[in-house]
Amino acid sequence: MGHPSELPPEPVPDYEGDEEFLRRVHHVLLEVEVLEGSLQCPDSGRRFPISRGIPNLLLSEDEA
Amino acid sequence: MAEGAGDAGLGPGAGPAPAPEDAELEAVIGATVPTGFEQTAAEEVQEKLGSASRISRDRGKIYFAVPARSLPQVHRLRSVDNLFVVVQEFKDYQFKENKEHALKDLEDLVKKLPWTNPLKVWELNNSLKKKKTKRKKHNLQSPVSKEKLNDGGEEGGADQKDTNDQEDCAQNIAGGEPADSPDTEQPQGVAAQNSGEEEDNEQLDAKDEVQASSGGGAKSGDGQTAEGEGKVLKFRVTCNRAGDKHSFTSNEAARDFGGAVQEHFQWKADMTNFDVEVLLNIHSNEMVVGIALTEESLHRRNITHFGPTTLRSTLAYGMLRLCDPQPTDIIVDPMCGTGAIPIEGAAEWPGCYHIAGDNNPQAVKRAANNICSLLRKNESKDSSPAPGVPLDIIQWDICNLPLRTGSVDIVVTDMPFGKRIGSKKKNWDLYPACLMEMGRICTPGTGRAVLLTQDKKCFAKALSRVGHIWRRAQTVWVNVGGLHAAVYLLRRTWDRAEERRPCCVFMLSTWHLWLFRDEGTGDGLLVNQQELFVAAPNVTKADITLPVFTLKERCLQVVRSLVSPTDYRRLDIVRSLHEELEDRPDIWKDLERLSLERSEALRNGILE
Repeated sequence: MGHPSELPPEPVPDYEGDEEFLRRVHHVLLEVEVLEGSLQCPDSGRRFPISRGIPNLLLSEDEA
Repeated sequence: MAEGAGDAGLGPGAGPAPAPEDAELEAVIGATVPTGFEQTAAEEVQEKLGSASRISRDRGKIYFAVPARSLPQVHRLRSVDNLFVVVQEFKDYQFKENKEHALKDLEDLVKKLPWTNPLKVWELNNSLKKKKTKRKKHNLQSPVSKEKLNDGGEEGGADQKDTNDQEDCAQNIAGGEPADSPDTEQPQGVAAQNSGEEEDNEQLDAKDEVQASSGGGAKSGDGQTAEGEGKVLKFRVTCNRAGDKHSFTSNEAARDFGGAVQEHFQWKADMTNFDVEVLLNIHSNEMVVGIALTEESLHRRNITHFGPTTLRSTLAYGMLRLCDPQPTDIIVDPMCGTGAIPIEGAAEWPGCYHIAGDNNPQAVKRAANNICSLLRKNESKDSSPAPGVPLDIIQWDICNLPLRTGSVDIVVTDMPFGKRIGSKKKNWDLYPACLMEMGRICTPGTGRAVLLTQDKKCFAKALSRVGHIWRRAQTVWVNVGGLHAAVYLLRRTWDRAEERRPCCVFMLSTWHLWLFRDEGTGDGLLVNQQELFVAAPNVTKADITLPVFTLKERCLQVVRSLVSPTDYRRLDIVRSLHEELEDRPDIWKDLERLSLERSEALRNGILE
């Protein structure tokens, strides 16, 4: 997504105290806005599109 | 105090413009607020201005006193629709029974009223407004007073300069034009009135048009700039009358009162292009004479892109206040429409995180546009890039919210009324489903919801079914676009969405298969998240829990608990539901099914 090298793949133990890590997470979560892309459900793998900053999380009839 | 026509307080240049000590003038301000939220507004006034308010019998109005220099803060109040300065209040005015006499009394009243100070307040207020609007005012401001007042005073936000409803956020909009927003709800300047009382509102100018005398120009002082100096003030009178014992109509009162005002001040009457709007509010024996301080309702302030049922910002603010948002609270509006509520929330409670969602793509688009407008508004103050706003928007289905259980602190929304959007029939299904899903995402114990709806009957029914999740804490009766609606404050109970019952210790006979049932209803229970339990030696726990029933199954259970089986067929529901109701949980059927499933599984080698 643009920041692969900066974030470790899993939270390190004691991540609450690691300021550098927290800064990077804060940046990715709150300062980066995805305009076009998708969100992937970690359980089902189903992708939800994001268009102009707005994710569409509606399920289709048969999925609900 | 009788004032002559050449009142020094009015004219543009009669003496110096408002002197500095006028800023210390105490002004009694009247504010119109959404009916039902008078208390909330009073709290905001107390909090932001430090003044106590009086709530009048005339619903939707509060009164408070502030020094005139606080006017900028008064304009920034978020729970008020309109503001006026009180000239005089009559707690118990005796209107004569004879119409002519009553009207004559009103005419005679004009010269007895204490106009000076309120008019000074009005002038001060104008210098605040002048900065915002394009319309030329007739009053002049001396550099001194202008600095004093505009120091740190920001725009009250009454005007949104962005138009172009169809335009996308991504493009740049050349700003400037005042928005000409379609007002889908009440016409401006007219207080919301409930039925049951005879009432009417009229705005009229005086009967006779008096020529604006050039004598007005001669009154002005010298050495002022040329702008509008020679002009006489224009005015109109707006009368709101409620109560059934008056011998006159508001039409007549406005007309005659206006005539006397014109006589007294030598102002010119003008319905549309007025400088001074005199307000005459009569509510039974209570009468208030005031001068308007706002031109158009503040309630549209944040919204530039309207939808068919856009909520007033002041109402949205009132609803948010009701749930007492704390810093770091997560606030969700799952049916946000054009986003009135979350936008108000993000603007006023930036320490909270706001999430807005709707299933309708048009609504989502409009909400996004409104958010962009808000961002642009923040941006224009300085040249640096605008900080973001703690608000996100998503397209989702209220019955399947992509949010974790118990992760949200506050749910606040305007539920579909079934009049302009959706339908009453849809509400019967929608409301219980909404309450369940909102209950799921809300934090048990500390979570709360504030819900606005006009379909109170349906709501009450739906609420009674989810008593284990939501408790009603407060109800505020409001008026929305002429409809009688209610705002419900609900508190989330401590019940978790998946309930865990306390563990008992059983000595179970080993190697049996066990299943568990609710004694009363026969509904199935889960043990260790499964239907069947094997008491093997290595298994030490048997957690018996309620499954998360589908909404439908839960509804069937509740109906079964309320209705005797012989009456199922008498319920006015679809035939298939009758059959499903009758299809009660039956242990033998379940055993049959389970043994079938088990032999199937064994055959397929799934079980070891």
